[in-house]
Amino acid sequence: MTGTVDAELEQFTRGDIQAFETLFREYQGEVYGWIVRIVRDPGAAEDLTLETFWRIYRARARFDPRRPFGAWAHRIATNLALEHLSRRPAENPLDDGVALRAAATPTPDPAIGADVRAKVVAAFGELPSTLRAAATLAMIEETPYAEIADALGISINGVKSRVFRAVRLLRRSLEKRGVRR
Amino acid sequence: MNEQDEALKELLKRAAGGPADRELRRDLWPEMLRRLERPPVRVPWWDWAVAAALLLCLVLFPEIIPAVLYQL
Repeated sequence: MTGTVDAELEQFTRGDIQAFETLFREYQGEVYGWIVRIVRDPGAAEDLTLETFWRIYRARARFDPRRPFGAWAHRIATNLALEHLSRRPAENPLDDGVALRAAATPTPDPAIGADVRAKVVAAFGELPSTLRAAATLAMIEETPYAEIADALGISINGVKSRVFRAVRLLRRSLEKRGVRR
Repeated sequence: MNEQDEALKELLKRAAGGPADRELRRDLWPEMLRRLERPPVRVPWWDWAVAAALLLCLVLFPEIIPAVLYQL
């Protein structure tokens, strides 16, 4: 973090809107990039980015400017993304109608049959949101465990445990659906 | 991860279409500013007074709770 941002942080905690704008512009891409990795829906990720900064602004008085702003923003963004996942219909977690229409959303590999893909999506959707987030970040986004641990506020072993449980549940669920891996 | 886990991971990645595009394609500040400038929702003092009176009634006369719930 630069010295300028440190000075901005002081002003931000005092409610300076220009300081908040500087921080917003500095971190909006990073926060969005993190949220979209978890929710995998560009439209929802934009809304959640705005909500993250809205909460940051409202909580500015409680923020200690000596602490890293990015880590704080990540924590709030992660909580919002997890809330979003737990609210979202479980049957379509890897992409939903909105995500499919969005240009920035990755498209599935055509080599996988629609049937297998539907089963993977359904099985993934049955996972609890915390396991789904850990599995998405670790297995699809290939985010380092340390980074996931930091954002989820748990230990690296905690991340490994969540990924392990997600894999186990996913495998069991896929086997029930006749997909063996 | 063992071989089976790797195969599952690969299947998951292919089903999801790989990592999401992490690039923000527009500036969100104008929307944020609109939100900041929106006047906060204010609850009139009368509503607080009615809520407080209702709460007081429920505390003093708990036997009316079923009747209140029935009206909802």
